Amino acid sequence: MDSMMFGKYIPINSYVHKLDPRLKIGALILLLVTVFFDAGFIGYAILSIFVLIISILAKMKISQILNAMKPMLFMMAFLMIFNLLFIQNGTIIFSIGFIHIYDQAVVQTIYIFIRLLLIIIMTSILTATTKPLDLTLGIEYLLAPFKKIGFPTHEVAMIISIALRFIPTLLEETQRIMKAQASRGVDYSEGTTKEKILSIVSLIIPLFISAFQRAEDLANAMESRNYNPEAPRTRYKQLHWQLSDSISLIATVGVSACIIVMSFIL
Amino acid sequence: MSITFKQVEHTYSQDTPFSYHALKGVNLNIETGHMTALIGHTGSGKSTLIQHINGLLQPTAGEVDIEDVIITATDKPKSLKPLRKKAGLVFQFPEYQLFEETILKDIIFGPKNFGMDEEKTIEIAKETIKLVGLDESYLDKSPFDLSGGQKRRVAIAGILAMDPDILVLDEPTAGLDPQGAKEMIALFKKINDQGKTVILVSHDMNQVLQYCDDVVVMNKGKVERHVKVDELFKETDYLTSLSIDLPIITSFILELNKNGFHIDPSIKDINELIEVLGGEING
Repeated sequence: MDSMMFGKYIPINSYVHKLDPRLKIGALILLLVTVFFDAGFIGYAILSIFVLIISILAKMKISQILNAMKPMLFMMAFLMIFNLLFIQNGTIIFSIGFIHIYDQAVVQTIYIFIRLLLIIIMTSILTATTKPLDLTLGIEYLLAPFKKIGFPTHEVAMIISIALRFIPTLLEETQRIMKAQASRGVDYSEGTTKEKILSIVSLIIPLFISAFQRAEDLANAMESRNYNPEAPRTRYKQLHWQLSDSISLIATVGVSACIIVMSFIL
Repeated sequence: MSITFKQVEHTYSQDTPFSYHALKGVNLNIETGHMTALIGHTGSGKSTLIQHINGLLQPTAGEVDIEDVIITATDKPKSLKPLRKKAGLVFQFPEYQLFEETILKDIIFGPKNFGMDEEKTIEIAKETIKLVGLDESYLDKSPFDLSGGQKRRVAIAGILAMDPDILVLDEPTAGLDPQGAKEMIALFKKINDQGKTVILVSHDMNQVLQYCDDVVVMNKGKVERHVKVDELFKETDYLTSLSIDLPIITSFILELNKNGFHIDPSIKDINELIEVLGGEING
């Protein structure tokens, strides 16, 4: 149950919840780009503090952030080990046999760790504070200029919203199937490698079957209501830009500009 | 030997905005060998309760004792496998748990996980498939070629093949055709007659009246009644307050009694009712 927190909207009321989804998406993209500008540790410190302030404004709990990171731990560990071993710049700090660890490798690895951490936190703030529907609406608005060159904005927005909508559903389904198979004696934590692989098979196959089933049902439901992606549509919900949005935009652009400029100077 | 819940609490996603208090101080003692119905509204905590019986959920407070296997909020046995073998749990819509290439493989999946010898499990599979109303020729087919109802039977066979002492079923007949539902429930009764404990979540009061010994009523996370089936259906006002319908036969008798008849409302069998009714009409 706890691992389901990633990517889930948390229905509370906070400053960040009330912001315009267009702003939140735009700010996230800008910050994601900023993360990759190397402004040294000071740059990352500024960015980290900024993200920390946003998380506090969004009333995020540390446990939520930690939970969001859980699924990424393996990938992070993997990336970090490779970086430590394969970056060969600077001076050797220490060697074990044929393995040499360089000081630049350590620095780069710490950077990668911080970058991944920030990316995960920022993304989970967006999904935790924005309803999937608002998110789609925001994406659609932001993509609107590309309509002129024939880009299917509505379709893309619809695909994204459906994908987002089904993340929690599929996670719940996973839990359900895991419980059903556990009742049949599957042990997901213990056992030999062969048993573990079989236990994953017993999870993946029913999950895929039910996902395809759901997709088909959804397609039929949309079709039977005459869904037509090209039809012009109005919206019940209109987005309104407010003063708090402008303030947040200025703050975000300020921090990003600051870090990007620093990265060129340093 | 029995299944005992002592002051059991369960809260989902504790300490998050999604936290949900599903079980509130549940005390329950289900005797071995009985067929017990578990009724109540959606969200009353039935599914949460039954998942404690084979250790899928751990209480957040209190103690669950399943035939001397004790699980508390802080303590559970090192391996839950023996408990899972002892208490077979059939989830709602169990057809979604099928995954093997053939029905045979799917049925023996459980027994094999519990360390049974493969040859023996094949024997068991041949017996169980007949028990659920399909024949041996199905064993080599893919479970995904079957109809919904047949898949359900195969999935239930997968649990029965584990030969559990306690069989817990979450709405096993939901979505089945009336004939299929009747066959299924009769099968569970037969298993109960062989001395197994059966716990059945059901919304069909006719089934409850006809097949179960005891009934547990859950409402808002609490156990409100745990009585003999006959006793429960006497409490018509209480059942109305929960908007639980009476079994057809019971409500028919009550309707007759309102119009001057004097028939025992605990009659379960239609033939018995006809006899009593005939006796009363004729003198």
